[in-house]
Amino acid sequence: MSADELAGSHVLLTGATGFLGQATLERLLSSYPDTHVSVLIRPRGERTATDRLSALLRKNVFRPLSERLGAEKLTRLVRERVTVIEGDLGSVTLPADLDVVIHGASTVSFDPPVDEAFRTNVSGVAALYQALTGSPHIVHISTAYVAGTRKGVVAEVALDHGVDWRLELEMALAARLDVERDSRRPEVLRRALAQAGEQHAKAGPQSTATDAERLRTEWVTRRLVDYGRTRARSLGWPDVYTFTKALGERVAETLWAQPGRPLSVVRPAIVESALRHPYPGWIDGFKMADPLIISFGRGLLREFPGLPDSVLDVIPVDLVINAILATAARPPATGPAYLHVSSGATNPLTFQNMYVLCRAYFDNHPIPDGDRGHIAPPTWRFPGSQQVELRLRAGERAAALAERALLALPPSKRSQDWLTSLGRQQQELVQLREYADLYGVYARAEVIYDDSRLRELHAALPPQRALEHGFDPTVIDWRAYLQDVHCPSITATVRRAGQRRGSSSKVRSPSPRSLPERTDVAAVFDLEGTIVNSNVVESYLWARLATMPRSGWLRELADLARCAPQYLSAERHDRGELLRAFLRRYAGARVDELRALVTDVLGDALLHRVMPEATRQIRRHRAAGHRTVLITGAVDLHVEPLSVLFDEVVASRMHAKDGVLTGFLETPPLVDEARAAWLRHYAQANGLHLDRSYAYADSYSDRPLLEAVGHPQVVNPDSQLFRHARRRRWVVHRWGAHTGGLLEVLLDVTGADCRAAPR
Amino acid sequence: MGRPGFMLDVDERTPPLLMHEGEGFRLERLPLGSRVIYPPESLPGIVDLEGAIHHALLHPHGSDPLPQLLRRGMRLTIVFDDLSLPLPQMRTPDVRQRVIEQVLELAAAAGVDDVELIAANSLHRRMTPAELKRTVGERVFRAFHPDHLRNHDAEDPDDLAHLGTTPHGEDVEINRRAAESDLIVYVNITLTAMNGGSKSVAVGLASYASLRHHHNVHTLRHSRSFNDPPHSAMHQSYDRMADVIGGQVPVFTIETTLNNEPFPTALRFLTRREWEWNLTDQASYLAVKRSNDLATGKLRRRIWQATEAPYGVTGVHAGAPSQVHPHTLAAVHRQQLTEVQGQADVAIFGLPYICPYNVNSIMNPILVMSLGLGYFFNLYRGKPIVREGGVAIFYHPMPHEFHPVHHPSYIDFYDLLAETTDPVMLETKYEKQFATDPWYTHLYRTSYAYHGVHPFYMWYWGAHAMQHLADVIFVGGDRSTTARLGFRAASSLADALELARDTVGANPEISYLHAPPMVLADVR
Repeated sequence: MSADELAGSHVLLTGATGFLGQATLERLLSSYPDTHVSVLIRPRGERTATDRLSALLRKNVFRPLSERLGAEKLTRLVRERVTVIEGDLGSVTLPADLDVVIHGASTVSFDPPVDEAFRTNVSGVAALYQALTGSPHIVHISTAYVAGTRKGVVAEVALDHGVDWRLELEMALAARLDVERDSRRPEVLRRALAQAGEQHAKAGPQSTATDAERLRTEWVTRRLVDYGRTRARSLGWPDVYTFTKALGERVAETLWAQPGRPLSVVRPAIVESALRHPYPGWIDGFKMADPLIISFGRGLLREFPGLPDSVLDVIPVDLVINAILATAARPPATGPAYLHVSSGATNPLTFQNMYVLCRAYFDNHPIPDGDRGHIAPPTWRFPGSQQVELRLRAGERAAALAERALLALPPSKRSQDWLTSLGRQQQELVQLREYADLYGVYARAEVIYDDSRLRELHAALPPQRALEHGFDPTVIDWRAYLQDVHCPSITATVRRAGQRRGSSSKVRSPSPRSLPERTDVAAVFDLEGTIVNSNVVESYLWARLATMPRSGWLRELADLARCAPQYLSAERHDRGELLRAFLRRYAGARVDELRALVTDVLGDALLHRVMPEATRQIRRHRAAGHRTVLITGAVDLHVEPLSVLFDEVVASRMHAKDGVLTGFLETPPLVDEARAAWLRHYAQANGLHLDRSYAYADSYSDRPLLEAVGHPQVVNPDSQLFRHARRRRWVVHRWGAHTGGLLEVLLDVTGADCRAAPR
Repeated sequence: MGRPGFMLDVDERTPPLLMHEGEGFRLERLPLGSRVIYPPESLPGIVDLEGAIHHALLHPHGSDPLPQLLRRGMRLTIVFDDLSLPLPQMRTPDVRQRVIEQVLELAAAAGVDDVELIAANSLHRRMTPAELKRTVGERVFRAFHPDHLRNHDAEDPDDLAHLGTTPHGEDVEINRRAAESDLIVYVNITLTAMNGGSKSVAVGLASYASLRHHHNVHTLRHSRSFNDPPHSAMHQSYDRMADVIGGQVPVFTIETTLNNEPFPTALRFLTRREWEWNLTDQASYLAVKRSNDLATGKLRRRIWQATEAPYGVTGVHAGAPSQVHPHTLAAVHRQQLTEVQGQADVAIFGLPYICPYNVNSIMNPILVMSLGLGYFFNLYRGKPIVREGGVAIFYHPMPHEFHPVHHPSYIDFYDLLAETTDPVMLETKYEKQFATDPWYTHLYRTSYAYHGVHPFYMWYWGAHAMQHLADVIFVGGDRSTTARLGFRAASSLADALELARDTVGANPEISYLHAPPMVLADVR
């Protein structure tokens, strides 16, 4: 049969690696044996266009064909029938003998920065059509949503608007420069610095700066997205994607559509998984409605701002491809032809119906939730978009408040469990917010895309061809399609993942696996809060209380309490400040007396407060040949009892004159970034591999130290570090089950009066 | 003279009986027909203790009187039992203080200048200055601490002397100062029949190299029991070592024995037979029990650890160790031995809050096991009170608690138990590693930690019982710690007996060893 309507033609395909592109290529290769195909593919990084095409052949879309022919034969077939043109739109020489150009290249995102959207969807189109020679039939792939935010029936005709695409393009491309300039204004940078400081001041100035710069680039992107979205809305399009696609059509009309240069514009609606070809349920990645369906199935979307009676215009991908190829074979005689490939006009699927069908699907096939059974899909009541928006906003506000409160609480297992569950809620809110902003418009659409041309075209197909190559949307049985084809297909990966893991944001617990034996790595430990459950204030206190009669204790404690606010504020600002301020208290103490005190009393107190799990871990590292390093801001005299555990001890040294401490430090204390810097230097000097090394710490100020090594380990973290560790999936240890309490040490160590004055 | 020990048959008239369970106690009604082994009533203490000591020093067994052994210019080392004796610590003045003071007076009179006092703490933790002071008294402490009153350091290579090997090839390595002295005077307290005699110097001053010859699974499985020296492979090893030591340095030992008064007056009900409790006893039981249950864990521990025993001294014997010890044992038997007819299917023990290794410390799960399956199970002569293949039921909450300073190696040892609880496996695979771990050694020498190998010894202590018993159940025991140790937990005696039913049937014979106070079952 002369099934091959494009027999003998030479077809150029752009966007061949995309969702529609790969399906088109597959269809051409499997069902149009006498058509030659050229594909325009950009090299990406190391991979050439040919590499990318070979990778494409291994994808699911070619599976049935590959199984039918055998992989080798498929490769040979491709070599014979496909020409790869490597390069970018506009920068390549295109073959002169083209009969058909199917232009499918497009941005995939709804909300890209404005310049990116224009570059692909507008200037890319212009470049391609200007590079063409001869008079091939152009099939320009657009979207039904170019019609913009409007109600009622949209006809298959040219868009009615007066937007000057050249001006818009120029402005859009210039926007980045503007925004980049704006983002460097001191006010903006100050805000970024302040925000970064709030989070990272404890970790040091470099961390703050890095984060401020990250905030600035994020701001630039956000701003460019806003430029695009707002400009689109100001002209009657819901987002920059549909806006630029609409201008793309206008580009095609102005640059190509002239007598003798045929142009067909194909406007699919929401393209989803295949009904039949290449196999039922085939899809590449997640398309528009899929994140929604999956989030629904995972119980994340409790409610959604959609209208129950609005039509969700879904169309299976194989129907779209069939329509594209049928169009390609029939160039319009006069003027551009427009074609809606959609289901809304003849076989509408309402949002409510889709919800019912999906809900029934998930009721029968719930998503597994690791070791906690299955997830129950939520019940939607469609309270109206305003209600949903109000709830969403209230939820966001409550979550932000709760997080502030939890971070301010003293760290404990419980507050951090709350933080974990809050994090999960926040994640849901962020996702819901994203979906509501992006898809809300589509789920509220009160528009019908007229498809009379599409039906005409379908009717023109020979009956025997219509069965295999047709595109009549009325053949879709929504229940069967959603429940038997589409949902099983898109939830497959989620199901596999769900069976593997437990809850979504579990903190990694340490595994008792043995450490790899090697001598070129370090295991770095912080002291306070990591190895011992005490701090600089406590060791000072033991030193003071052990040497004075009990009658003096009260005065000493009162004095300490009086200074507490000063120390607390120093600590919040910078740990180094606290150390400097606090160690002044030692002014006047004799070095030899303090040393004797450490040997007789304080060492014992320190060992009471040691976390046995820490010493065990240090010794495990030692046994594995690792170099053990202690980095602490505490005074070297105080850490003496632990020094045998380490190959290297870096501690603060207090300045002494004639055997009496002056209360000043000899060198700046090693805190926050100074630790990371020291470690890098040390590693270099000793030939250690930091990417294979370990660091243990408890405080957010140690983030730079932890990030300097390949195996960061968090011990009894403060809330900020815990949150960070959870996001980065670092190992979290809970140590100190058998560590002595403060009161016990007070009673056992300093209470034994005869020990303080033995000599 | 107190009433002798006896066996009570539980009948309808028997009141609920007192049962220790860690830092607490309860009254428990035992099944009818159960038998309860009571120790003899406490013997009166010696009234003129100073006189008795003086007499013992001047009229020793198998030795010249002490003054004749002392001379100007000699090296004298006085060694005394450490913190692990007696239990609980005795009310001051400690009998060791009294003995040491008299020995020092005699030494001063003889013009001895070179005197050193050493605590025989072996691989136990060092005694703190406060604990030393409490044991030897203020005067001695002031005069000798810290340079001439110190703890034995079994890991100080400069202060150990290898004295040779026994005919069985056992190394004898003890404290160098003691070994190179002209005379060792050993001041002992014999609380149970395993203490004293050859053990004093051979164990108290030994090093790991020496101890490993008798502190091992094989020896302990052949010490039946270690409270019955003639039938204890362990004591035979001590004797061989003592012979080597005695051949090189003269030892003059002073052994003391105590009566059965471990609790102060307020807790007198703990030592009285329940059916003889008067109103005061009943009231103080209620009051103490109530307040003890209300106290927090830490407070409760402090109160119990602060308890001092009003022990009376029942005997002071001095002279050559081998000549002295039979007298000492006889005194111990007089106070503790109770005749028991036949073995039972089930033995019940109420474990108290203290054992030799948690004075001023925490009784961790390993120590609970060693107290129960080591010390209490072995309180027998002849045969265990429970038959082979029988069941032992212990009362102890067995909390998952460890002292971070005193028992660091125990914390790590506890983790090994997840892999195996078999003493032989642990011994062959891990003992050496723990014994030679530099960190444990550092802590033993400079802090107050038990030696790295000590938890292994505790586990071996129970090796004989683990072999002998078919099942071990802890009433009130923490489920996860009990399971880690390889035992079972029951919430009540009825449940424990229900668990034991598979092993011993529905109507087992039950014996309850009513201790403390100390009792040694003479099973016929």
